[in-house]
Amino acid sequence: MMKTFSIGGIHPADSKISKDCRIEVLPLPSKVFISMAQHLGAPAVPVVKAGDKVKAGQVIAEPAGFISAYVHSSVSGTVKSVGPRKDIAGNNMVHVEIDVEGDEWADGIDLSDKLVTEIPEDVKAILEKIKLNGVVGLGGATFPAHVKLCPPPGKKAECLILNGAECEPYLTSDYRIMLERSREIVVGAAIMKHVLGGCRTVIGIEENKPEAIRVMSEAVAELQKSAKGYEGISVMSLKKKYPQGGEKQLIDAVMGRQVKSMGLPIDVGAVVQNVATSLAVYEAVQKNMPLVTNVLTVTGDCLPADRQHNYKFRIGMPLSYVAEYAGGVPEQAAKIISGGPMMGKAIANPDAATVKGSSSLLYLTAAQTVRQAESACIRCGKCADACPMGLEPFLLNKYARNGMMDELEENAVQDCIECGCCLYSCPANIPLLDIIRIAKGDVIRIIRGRAAQKK
Amino acid sequence: MDKLLVSPSPHLHAKTSTTSLMRDVVIAMLPAVVVSVLFYGWSELLIFGVSVASCVLLEYLITKYLLKRPCTVGDWSAAVTGVLLALNLPATTPWWVVLIGAIVAIGVAKMTFGGIGQNLFNPAIAGRVFLLISFPTYMTDWTRPQGFIGNGLDAMTGATPLGMVKEGGISAVADLDYLDMLFHNIGGSAGELSALAILAGFVYLLVRRVIKPYITLSILATVAIFSGIFWAVNPAEYTGPLFNLLTGGILLGSVFMATDYVTSPMSNLGGVIFGVGIGVLTMLIRYFGAYPEGVSFAILIMNSMVPLINKWCHSRKYGRA
Ligand code: SF4
Ligand code: SF4
Repeated sequence: MMKTFSIGGIHPADSKISKDCRIEVLPLPSKVFISMAQHLGAPAVPVVKAGDKVKAGQVIAEPAGFISAYVHSSVSGTVKSVGPRKDIAGNNMVHVEIDVEGDEWADGIDLSDKLVTEIPEDVKAILEKIKLNGVVGLGGATFPAHVKLCPPPGKKAECLILNGAECEPYLTSDYRIMLERSREIVVGAAIMKHVLGGCRTVIGIEENKPEAIRVMSEAVAELQKSAKGYEGISVMSLKKKYPQGGEKQLIDAVMGRQVKSMGLPIDVGAVVQNVATSLAVYEAVQKNMPLVTNVLTVTGDCLPADRQHNYKFRIGMPLSYVAEYAGGVPEQAAKIISGGPMMGKAIANPDAATVKGSSSLLYLTAAQTVRQAESACIRCGKCADACPMGLEPFLLNKYARNGMMDELEENAVQDCIECGCCLYSCPANIPLLDIIRIAKGDVIRIIRGRAAQKK
Repeated sequence: MDKLLVSPSPHLHAKTSTTSLMRDVVIAMLPAVVVSVLFYGWSELLIFGVSVASCVLLEYLITKYLLKRPCTVGDWSAAVTGVLLALNLPATTPWWVVLIGAIVAIGVAKMTFGGIGQNLFNPAIAGRVFLLISFPTYMTDWTRPQGFIGNGLDAMTGATPLGMVKEGGISAVADLDYLDMLFHNIGGSAGELSALAILAGFVYLLVRRVIKPYITLSILATVAIFSGIFWAVNPAEYTGPLFNLLTGGILLGSVFMATDYVTSPMSNLGGVIFGVGIGVLTMLIRYFGAYPEGVSFAILIMNSMVPLINKWCHSRKYGRA
């Protein structure tokens, strides 16, 4: 039987309209705006000032703590300004504005596309490269990659899981890199496996991407034959079910283990990285290439077939520039999403700059996305059936509306992964996740406060 | 595109709505409705008309003039109650009795609790049980009027198989034809006519994912096992599993009434407990109670246990085993 997670889940139409569009390289704009907050944790601190000349791949900001990341220039040119600019939500964040001049790369970066399959021996040096090249998780959370690859003392990785599920509808960027950069991804996986002490490595891909399963399996087989350090890597096909790519769900599906509430994957011996992160690790370690590019999908049902795209972009390109290049925002689009339709963010400011984790410009029409009026809960239980964490959203909703904090905590609101399955499924259109998200924040604050007091 | 919509995720929604679910329940009941109208004729049609119209109208009037809040008849839930109530009444029920049933169902059992989602008891059953207690003569007169097909007045006039057992012991139903019961021709309320029509509705509800099978199957299994044991011990005294599954409202109740979202438990385990409870209570009433039929009472009693069941049965949570 095909593997999948054991609790809940939903089956939205997968809508992978752009899956056959090859990755195209976007031309350089005249300006880029590079955000200091492209990763989970503290925003990076700029180390350049207006007037400085920079090259592509050069460090322009340094991490501001343990959980933070380096940021590099994605273009060559002159720093125009360092200051606040609005991000996609419309909030101010420090950006480095760079006028693009030519396309000159910093020294030491291998720009050729020759595949380097030999895995360096020195784990410390590998981690240093991953860190210095600003690699962060590209599956959504943008957690600094090197931190995840250093299990805390006493914990040991037993399985590295590469997330190629891409369970969000519409998105196809992971699919495309699995087809077009399969061997690089596998090298990246082997590098991470080596860093983690040579644990079992599983590349999980949903069954609705048979091409990707085939190509990735071939890449694994080929590298296992021709190079050293690739043993113990395999491809696993997973059932198509959302949220198959959720970290906790993937661990359940692949290893049959469940992470405890408020725990970390490493507690059960798991490390999960996205396939795009694996590619970034390859680039960083084998090519000394910092994370300054990524692939995003431009899609939506209101776009004709010839205007669906997968683009390789340089970080800092404004979303509006990408949209314009792709032929403009379609007339019928009522909402633009960055990320998937289930967990992505609605873009308030289309002029915001792309970041490391940008994965899409998804156009949804009003008919697709406008929320219907809320009616009374009919106690159908569909939200609970859908919840992959086994929570009872109807109950959490009731408790949250009455400010019942103890009951919320008892009923595990803090375990919510914000996947949206409950709200998606509710026939009464109750904004379950909106309410649960706020309650979860409150309860986690209470739990943290209690823990701090104990110390 | 003038202004971008901005709202939190998720940005998509399933196509099911309360309305679509309730409409599916009505569709699932249609085979039973059609069979009963075919066999009971005009008077049956009148009962459906009065029941549905009064349920819908009452909910409209109550929400609009009494509670002064948005009208909810558009969600089809009042129509579901109307059809269900009619399926629970004998074809000879006078129209004004039907109206009283509707008033109890919608006015008392549903709206005084706060409308859809809030009621403790299934409105249609509350209506039926009220009528059963208040108008026993009308409610147990199972004379069958002439229908559009078949002949209405036959040997079993005046009593349901279950009633016959209560009156005359098990020998009274010795020559019942089970095949007949499967298709039609079971004495009883409209909805108790054809087992097949109800099962077709059950399959439809499952396929459309309106309900899950746990409640229905646990009721049927309990009835079968319970009566099987008694029958095996003393077949001269007790009716057997097949008889008990095909007679009375057990199919109608287990498929359409016990599965009502609002008045059944939320979790699967809770559903099974609820179902076993209904099955046991039904059989206790049938074998030892004063009434020949016990499904409605059993469901009402178990309805009142739902808050308790919900308190004890929660879904299995991730990572907390
Ligand atoms: S958003 Fe939270 S509560 Fe809703 S289904 Fe997902 S995990 Fe469950
Ligand atoms: S899905 Fe909506 S209507 Fe159904 S139980 Fe959950 S909150 Fe209530």
